[in-house]
Amino acid sequence: MKRFAAILIKGYQTFSSTREAKCKYYPSCSNYAATAIQRYGIKGVAMASWRLLRCNPWSDGGVDYVDYELDSADALASMRAAIVSNSSTQGRLKEGVR
Amino acid sequence: MGFILNPLYNIVSGVMVAFHKVFEPIFGADSGVTWSLSIMGLVVLIRVILIPLFVKQIKSQRALTALQPQMKAIQNKYKDDRQKQSEEMMKLYKEHKTNPLASCFPILAQAPIFFALFTVLNGIAAKDDAGNPAPIARGFLKGEYLESAAQAKFFGAKISESFLGTDLLSVKIVTVILILFMSATTFTTQKQLMTKGMPKMDASNNMMLQQQKIMLYLFPLIFAISGVNFPVGVLIYWSTTNLWTWGQQFYVIKRNPTPGSPAYEELARKRAHKAKHDGKEMAGEETPEVEAPKVEGQRQQPKKAKKKKK
Repeated sequence: MKRFAAILIKGYQTFSSTREAKCKYYPSCSNYAATAIQRYGIKGVAMASWRLLRCNPWSDGGVDYVDYELDSADALASMRAAIVSNSSTQGRLKEGVR
Repeated sequence: MGFILNPLYNIVSGVMVAFHKVFEPIFGADSGVTWSLSIMGLVVLIRVILIPLFVKQIKSQRALTALQPQMKAIQNKYKDDRQKQSEEMMKLYKEHKTNPLASCFPILAQAPIFFALFTVLNGIAAKDDAGNPAPIARGFLKGEYLESAAQAKFFGAKISESFLGTDLLSVKIVTVILILFMSATTFTTQKQLMTKGMPKMDASNNMMLQQQKIMLYLFPLIFAISGVNFPVGVLIYWSTTNLWTWGQQFYVIKRNPTPGSPAYEELARKRAHKAKHDGKEMAGEETPEVEAPKVEGQRQQPKKAKKKKK
């Protein structure tokens, strides 16, 4: 079911990429929906619908992640940093063993 | 589902009947012209209602010109992190309460109307088990109106017939022409947007451009596949709304182009030229340079200074 939703959203994204109009939010409603449904299932569908309702001509849009602490650029950057430091400590450990 | 759909049927059929009343004295009650114009009237009404939204969007796009320096700064600062770049852009828009992006509302708002019209027109075309016409009344399209609409013709084809639902050659020809027209208007609208209406793309947007090119040729195919199932009336609606979109975009690209697009530069050149012309009469006035953002290419090599020969 989740896969089906993901395919539908992907299809919509290819279709709509030709249009000039883009979403007022970042990430776009379709990306938001993809993440939300993937992560929360039915609750994600509700979240995506609520987002679609908020994305109207009278809203100002803005940055709006499904989970800010998981998806934002800063979060991803710190996660990457953690992985890098982790692997480097492992490297040092290996060297220590040798 | 009925409690959502019935009001929609009422709106669509109500508007059609109202336009029918307007055109009836001119073209006659049962004339195909009257019914075709009723459908077109529905399109025009919807698009006119959507105009304020469109104007709002254009205005905030214009306001964006003032934010150009800040946008450039963000692009430079986060050039390695596209996500962060987009985040900061959005924050900037929000801070200045100007969002140039449209939201998908105009498309979403039209979808139920389109669906309702499809159902209403399909109801007109309904047949019973024996294959005899048995139109189904929906909303205000009932009684004599239903009978009249079921017989109405658009260039010799009943507006309730579809390509696949008939053996009549006239219907097939009319539907094919309408599908071709829909494809042509969409194609030119999109082509115009791609070549003139959008800011020049650099290599990083190349994939998107490629995707758009594919879609450019895929759209007519999609129209052809779906169009053969639709009644002529729906095709009239679709063609009219496509034509409207084309006209609207043509106007915007000519008069209010997106900053950074080729059309914008062209307009800037024209204005500069005109200012120069007027300047001759109003001597002494400086013509302001209109600056268009350029895609940065290779750095210009410093020219070798000629050394003096001794």
